[in-house]
Amino acid sequence: MALAPILMPQLGESIAEATIVRVLFKEGDAVHADADLIEVETNKAVMGVTAPCSGTLGQILAETGQSYPVGAVLGYIEISKEDAVRLGLDEDDQPKAKSVEKKRVDKPAPPVTVEPTVKGGLPVPAHVGGASYLSPRMKARMAELGLRMADLSGIPGSGAGGRVTIEDLERFMAGIERNKTTPASPMRKAVADAMIRSWSRPIATVFRPITLDNLLAHRSKHPLKPGPALYTLRALAIALGENSACAGRLIGERIVHPPSIDIGFAVEAEDGVMVPVIRNADQYPLNDLVPRYNRLVELARQRRLPAGDTGGSIATVTNYGTFGLTLATPIPLPEQTLLIGMGVGRTVPFWNPAIEEFIPVVEAQFTLSFDHRVLDGGAAGRLLKRVAELLEGPEQL
Amino acid sequence: MSSITYLEAIRLAQEKALADDPRVFLYGQDVGNFGGAFKATKNLAKEFPGRVFDAPLSEDAIIGMAVGAAIEGMRPIVEMQFADFSTCGFNQIVNHAATLYYRTGVPCPIVVRLPSGGTSGGGPFHSQSMEALYAHYPGLVVMTPATVEDAYSMLLEAVALDDPVIFCEHKFLYYHLKSERLPESVLPVGKARLARAGRDATIVTHGAMLHESIAAATELAGDGYEIEIVDLRTVKPLDMDTVLASVARTGRLLCVSEEWPWGGVAAEVIARVTSEGFGLLDVAPQRLNAKDTPVPYHPDLWSVHRPTASAIAEVSRRLLNI
Amino acid sequence: MPTFKEDATVSSSEFIKAYRVMLLARVLEEKLASLYRGGMIKGGVFLGRGQEALSVSVGLHLHKGDIFAPLIRDQAGRMAFGDTILDTLRTYLGSQLGPMRGRDGNIHRGRPREGYYAMISHLGAMIPAVSGALLARRMKGETGIVGATCLGDGGTSTGAFHEGLNAAAVEKLPLVLVVANNQYAYSTPNSRQFACLDLVDKAVGYGVAGHKVDATDLEQCLLTLRKAVKAAREGGGPQLVVGDLLRLVGHGEHDDAHYVDPALKSAPVGRDCLLLAEEKIIAKKWASRAETSAWRHEAEEEVNATVDKVRREPGPKPEEDDWMAYSKSEFAEHYAGA
Repeated sequence: MALAPILMPQLGESIAEATIVRVLFKEGDAVHADADLIEVETNKAVMGVTAPCSGTLGQILAETGQSYPVGAVLGYIEISKEDAVRLGLDEDDQPKAKSVEKKRVDKPAPPVTVEPTVKGGLPVPAHVGGASYLSPRMKARMAELGLRMADLSGIPGSGAGGRVTIEDLERFMAGIERNKTTPASPMRKAVADAMIRSWSRPIATVFRPITLDNLLAHRSKHPLKPGPALYTLRALAIALGENSACAGRLIGERIVHPPSIDIGFAVEAEDGVMVPVIRNADQYPLNDLVPRYNRLVELARQRRLPAGDTGGSIATVTNYGTFGLTLATPIPLPEQTLLIGMGVGRTVPFWNPAIEEFIPVVEAQFTLSFDHRVLDGGAAGRLLKRVAELLEGPEQL
Repeated sequence: MSSITYLEAIRLAQEKALADDPRVFLYGQDVGNFGGAFKATKNLAKEFPGRVFDAPLSEDAIIGMAVGAAIEGMRPIVEMQFADFSTCGFNQIVNHAATLYYRTGVPCPIVVRLPSGGTSGGGPFHSQSMEALYAHYPGLVVMTPATVEDAYSMLLEAVALDDPVIFCEHKFLYYHLKSERLPESVLPVGKARLARAGRDATIVTHGAMLHESIAAATELAGDGYEIEIVDLRTVKPLDMDTVLASVARTGRLLCVSEEWPWGGVAAEVIARVTSEGFGLLDVAPQRLNAKDTPVPYHPDLWSVHRPTASAIAEVSRRLLNI
Repeated sequence: MPTFKEDATVSSSEFIKAYRVMLLARVLEEKLASLYRGGMIKGGVFLGRGQEALSVSVGLHLHKGDIFAPLIRDQAGRMAFGDTILDTLRTYLGSQLGPMRGRDGNIHRGRPREGYYAMISHLGAMIPAVSGALLARRMKGETGIVGATCLGDGGTSTGAFHEGLNAAAVEKLPLVLVVANNQYAYSTPNSRQFACLDLVDKAVGYGVAGHKVDATDLEQCLLTLRKAVKAAREGGGPQLVVGDLLRLVGHGEHDDAHYVDPALKSAPVGRDCLLLAEEKIIAKKWASRAETSAWRHEAEEEVNATVDKVRREPGPKPEEDDWMAYSKSEFAEHYAGA
């Protein structure tokens, strides 16, 4: 025995469904091909759905009063195997379930009601122009030449709104050829890339003088002679351990807090800068950090830092005082929000109000460079003040 | 040999088609002894008795009869007195001729000649450019010859094609355009022509606008700009290979077309270039069409309604400065 | 009704031949209606019930080499001209093997190379097409051929009817234009369709011969078409034949035709031409009731067997269709992302 489906016909060009008025036979009745089996109603007329072949009326799936879409299986007629072959129902047309879906053909999606107009529209920038705009052809040519947008900073655009046109670029590149050029080292290219990425943010810097006499005294008595940068690193770690939010990163509309207080420090190595990292620096006293620090400095100078000892830090300490500099505005690493810089210590007169005299103290300018999107001058100042307190009382470290 | 006008090239092509192929006949209003409203069939009725004859004022019947004759193996050339009047035969063109091959497998080799485009004083109903309207329909080949040589060779090719051809011959060029000789070698159907080489911008155009565009390019050459010009020749099929190759050289695209802007040939070319060659574009592609009003009658209005060399030059300068 | 001096009779064999084509068309269309309501038809079904006598008379008087452009209610005429049950069912059921290959359906089928034109839906459009074909034949030196096309009362209101008939008249083409005035254009009655007393009156305006016939009467239809086709074939120019009858079905099978005036159904014009023809056969003793029943049974067997065959045939395969509207494949446009 096989089953021939009784289908809801397409009863008019725009008809999508019809309602069952009544079923004219009972299950088990013998039915003849072309006989009306089920009366259905559309908005145009009442009509009979015919039997596709002769046989015994099997299961009726359709319920009176319900609407069914065109092509729905309303029931089955039980027919012989031979009839099934004759009708072409012997193959994959056999129903496997009470499925209403027809196979293969992509049905058009049912129409949905939509608002006739959308008010307001999506928030999009109104206009880009001038030097910030690069045409696709410019971008393609720059990619060809291995150029970045920063490389074009020296080109005054001659196009509309000051745009740099392809002619401007070609003229500039032709001019380059008249100069002496040397290839940039991989380290140089890596630093350049990192700085460009970092500079895409609004970086600001605050300054504060810090007296170092207590620190220097502490250091001179210390058997391991920790480097000044390590003092600062530890102080920053404690300060951030107390409030890590200002080391967070702004991603979209959320501040991402650092998972742990890992702080890097800059070490000059050949044609660039290495930044080894001390993990969880807030959790170890200064004494414990000294051997780790010294080992990392040595490895960095040899440019042999293991991958695990670099990257992933949340702030960096850089001691530009070693170059005799009193003040600098260094740029944090692109993945960091904060960078503390240390100027060279100098002996300066300090007005002591208690004795109403100038006394000599060793003082250095400390700078805190930060992503102004994440914190403001006040928060940066408070953070730097806390670092100053810790450095001026080094026994806390 | 005296010079040949665009119109005479069309007449000569029909003469040659009639002489070479007994299946060819000419049918249309006043095309018989009178020789056509524009004299495009002058003397042909006398030269080919029984094969060039007048039709009643019935565009639907003219094209319908051409379709029937084509099914029976003939190669009819029918003339609409003005392209504008082809709307009265629109049904037979787009629903019968255009669908016949797809539906039945029997091709429909008819040529419908549309004296197209504006002339001074033509007005709203004797000036229209209808190529985009017909190009919209699958099954139709739409030709827009811009030179005397193309008018001659493309009409002969149109007759030889098994598919229905809408032959948009430009009335403004009928007498204005002259050539010393008929072409010896021709580009294949569906191939655009590089009418002028350049490197600063590409103008894609067809029909009478080719000549306005060349004039604009000549003006800009005085300022040191080299404009490349692509003459589409057939707007359907559209030779995107030639267009994209040109845009790849120049990075800038201006489409100039005498028809109305909405959904026109210029719009189609720009759509195809932006979807197929976005990376080739330096700046947003521009188009210049007739103004979006009926074609005005008064010469002073008409000459501003359609794109002119100076308008093309002005838009080109803007394009070049981006 | 006009009376005919010559050929004013129809032989029993001619009558029976016509009747049996009508019967086959009727049986086939009944099956189509059933298949439609069984959900088996791709698209709509538009039937010619009640129009078989007029339609068959057109087809039977055309020869091989003539041209025929039938309209939607011409199943009988189509079969008389050579269309088959197989082609019909293949087109309705969407078989890939049919002449339209799934690209067009139901009554839009034809084989133009065999003079059997595939109508477009725009009424009147086939009049100039057939006229152009006749013009072509004349230019090729062929004589003695006829082109026929059919229309309804609604179609006479179109511009194409006017332009086509006028142009054919100007050229004195051997065109036979058969108008089945079935009283309704979809739901629009004659009173909202035209204001002339009789559609056949239009003939004089166009300068063509006009013929009027009671299209419920097969014998009259055969005689009228015999005369009209003969006149066209012999150089008499276009012939307008107007047959009065009633459409005995809806516009299509989706339409229950509730708007049809009951008075028309009970009037002489509402009679079923097939039943009248059968009664005549019985009355004239050209065949017995048992024989006419056997003919119907034979027709049903043939139709059912063909349905079984076609239902097993494959439909068109989108991935195998060349999607080509041009005979020259180089003309295919290639759209990015399509």
